Amino acid sequence: MDELRIENLSKDYDGFLAVDNVSLTIQPGELYSFLGPSGCGKTTLLRMIAGFEIPRTGRIYLGGQDITDLPPYKRPVNTIFQNYSLFPHMNVFDNVAFGLRIKKVPKTEIKDRVRKMLTLVKMEDQAAKYPSQLSGGQKQRIAIARALINEPKLLLLDEPLAALDLKLRQHMLIELMNIHDAVGITFIYVTHDQSEAMSISDRMAVMQNGNIVQSGLPDDIYERPTSIFSAYFIGETNLITGEVIGIEDEYVQLRCHRGNGEYFEIDSTFHFPPTLGSKLTVSLRPEKIAITRSKPRNQDDFNILRGTIEDILYVGTHTQYIVRVGDLKFRVFSQHKRVYFDEKALDWDEEVWLFWHDTDSWLINEVPDGVEASVEPRSLPQRASRKGIPAEV
Amino acid sequence: MNLEAFKQVNCSQTKASRRRDLASYLLTAPALIWLLVFFLVPYLIVFIYSFLSTDIYDVSFKFSLSAYRQLFSGIYLRPFYLAFRLAFITTFACLILAFPVAYYIARASEKMRNMLLILIIIPFWTNLIIRIFSWRIFLSYNGVLNTILLRLGLISTPLELMRTDFTVLLVMVYVYLPYMILPLYSALEKMDFTLLQAAMDLGANEVKAFFRITLPLAAEGIFAGSLLVFIPTLGAYLIPQLVGNQRSLYVGQVITYKIKNIPRNWPMASAMSFILLLLVAIMLIAMYAIYRKRTLAKRNV
Repeated sequence: MDELRIENLSKDYDGFLAVDNVSLTIQPGELYSFLGPSGCGKTTLLRMIAGFEIPRTGRIYLGGQDITDLPPYKRPVNTIFQNYSLFPHMNVFDNVAFGLRIKKVPKTEIKDRVRKMLTLVKMEDQAAKYPSQLSGGQKQRIAIARALINEPKLLLLDEPLAALDLKLRQHMLIELMNIHDAVGITFIYVTHDQSEAMSISDRMAVMQNGNIVQSGLPDDIYERPTSIFSAYFIGETNLITGEVIGIEDEYVQLRCHRGNGEYFEIDSTFHFPPTLGSKLTVSLRPEKIAITRSKPRNQDDFNILRGTIEDILYVGTHTQYIVRVGDLKFRVFSQHKRVYFDEKALDWDEEVWLFWHDTDSWLINEVPDGVEASVEPRSLPQRASRKGIPAEV
Repeated sequence: MNLEAFKQVNCSQTKASRRRDLASYLLTAPALIWLLVFFLVPYLIVFIYSFLSTDIYDVSFKFSLSAYRQLFSGIYLRPFYLAFRLAFITTFACLILAFPVAYYIARASEKMRNMLLILIIIPFWTNLIIRIFSWRIFLSYNGVLNTILLRLGLISTPLELMRTDFTVLLVMVYVYLPYMILPLYSALEKMDFTLLQAAMDLGANEVKAFFRITLPLAAEGIFAGSLLVFIPTLGAYLIPQLVGNQRSLYVGQVITYKIKNIPRNWPMASAMSFILLLLVAIMLIAMYAIYRKRTLAKRNV
C-alpha cells in the first residue's frame, strides 16, 4: 500500500532552518495533521511533499517510490490550497475537469467523472457557475473535487478552512471527514487550529521551529504532552514548577514555591524516571480542577489548594476562573452544572478550594525557560470588568 | 409605514434619481461637445471631400467617385497592404517581446516594480522625432553601430542598416513596445500566481500551465496592448518617412504626399483616410464583440 515515508527532511531559506531533519511515516488511508504556530515549518513540509519546495537534505517515499526529485505535476499527490486557487476564467465544470483534460482522458469519461465528483461534494447543480459566483464553502468543495478527481494517493490540505467563518468551518470539518471516509485515501492536513486538528485527525504531529515535538493520537497528545510546548500549544494548561522531594511506586511528590518563602506540595503521576531533587514541571489542564466554596471531603489521592478568585470570565459553555495561590495564578474551567439547589455563583475575591486527582497532574521533564515557578497562563485575556463596573486601568 | 408615506418616499427618490441623471448629462457634456466638434465634424469634412473632384491646389465642389475608383483599381492597395503587414508584425513582435518583460515586472518586489515601470516610461519624456533621429545616427552608414563593428573587425564594409523595411519595423517596435508592456503588466499584476502552482499540482507542466492559465488570464492585457500598438502603427507616417525607403510607401505617407505634393489630390487623401478609419472601426467592433462575449459568458450564466 501507499504509505508516505519521510526521512531526515530538511529545508532552509538563506540559513533559516524551516524544516529541521524531520522523519515520519504516515499510514495509507490515515488522516494526519501537522499542527503548529505560524513559522513552525508545517507548510514548508507540506510543500515539499507536494513538490513545490526542494528539500536541502532527506528523501520522501510514497508507496516505496522515491518522489523527492519529481516535479509537482508528476507526483500522485494533490493539494487543496489555502485560498482554493480556483481558476477564475473557468467554470466549475472546467475547473474540476482540468486534471483529466491534461491527461487527455476521453470526453465522455470526463463528463461522467466530473459529475460523480460534483455529486460527492454536493455541487452537482453548480457546474456552469464561475468561481466569482461561489461562496467560500462552495469554492472549498470545488477545490476538493478538483483535487480528488485525479485519484491521488495523497491529498494535502493547507489550512483549508482558515478563510471560512466559524459555523461553516465546523460544518466543513465534518464534511471533510465524510469525504475522507468515502474516498479512503491518505489526507495530510495542515493547521494552526488545535481544535480543528484534534477533532479531524487520526494522528497528528505538533511542530515547533521546524521540528516535530510530539506525534501520536490527538487525545494522547492532549492528555500526555511530552513537552511544555505541546502542553501549551494544544489547549490550555497550568504549568507548575517544583522540586522532586519524594518518589513512590506510582506517584512523585513535588515541592512548589508559592512566593514569600512559602511552599505547597503536590502529587503527580509520571511516565519517565524522575530523580530526587530535580526541578520539573507539572501540566494541569484547567478543566481537571474542581473549584468549590466548601472544603472537599475526600482528600485521599487529591491535591488540594486554597486560593482567591481574581478574575471570572464567562464564556457561555463554561466559566474561566483565575485563582491566585500565593504568587501563582491558576486557570480553572468550570461548567455550569448545579449540584446543590442553594448553590450561589462564586464571586470575585472569594476564598475557594481547588482540588484535582493526582493522576490528572502530568509531569513534564522540562522547566520553563528562565522562570523558576511561574504558572502565568499564556495570553491571559484582558481583565474583565466587574459586573458592569469598568476595570481599573 | 402607511401607504401614503411610502408613496411620498418613493416619489422623492425618483426625483432625486432624475436630478442625478441630469447632473451626469451635464458632466459628460463637455467631453461630448469636444468629440463632436473636433472629431466627428472633421471626419465629416474628410468624408465629403472624398466625393469631390480634384483641383491643382484645392478641390472643386463637383460630386465624383473617381477617388474611390482609383483607390480600388490596384496601385493604391499596396500602401494599405504594407501598412497592415507592418501593423500585424509590429503588434506580434511587441507582444512576444513585451510578455516576458511584463511578467518579470509583475513578479518583482514592489520596490523593484516601480523602478522598472519608471524605466519603461522614461523614453516618453523624449520627443518622438528626437528618438527616431537617434536611431538614424545609430544605424546610418557612418553611424555608431557600423563604426563599432568596423573597429571590432567583425565587418569590412559598413552595413546598409538605414532605409530598409526592417529598420522601419525595428523603430516601430522600439517606439510602441511600452504601449504593449504596460497593459500586459497591469493584467499580469492582477493574476494570482499560486494558480500556476495549482495547475502544476493538477498535472500540467510549465508550458501547459502557461497556455491554460497565464495566457487566458492575460487576455485583457493582450487585447488592450494590441489595440494600442496596432492602430497607431497602421497610420504611421513619421517613422517610415524618417527611417524607411521610397520603394515601400505606407498608407500614412501616401496620404501626406497626396496633400503635400502639387498637383494636390484632396479627394484621394480623404478617401484613403476614410477607408483606413472604416477598416479600423470594423476591426475594433469585431474585437469588442469577441471581448464582450467572453466576459458576458463569465458573468451571467
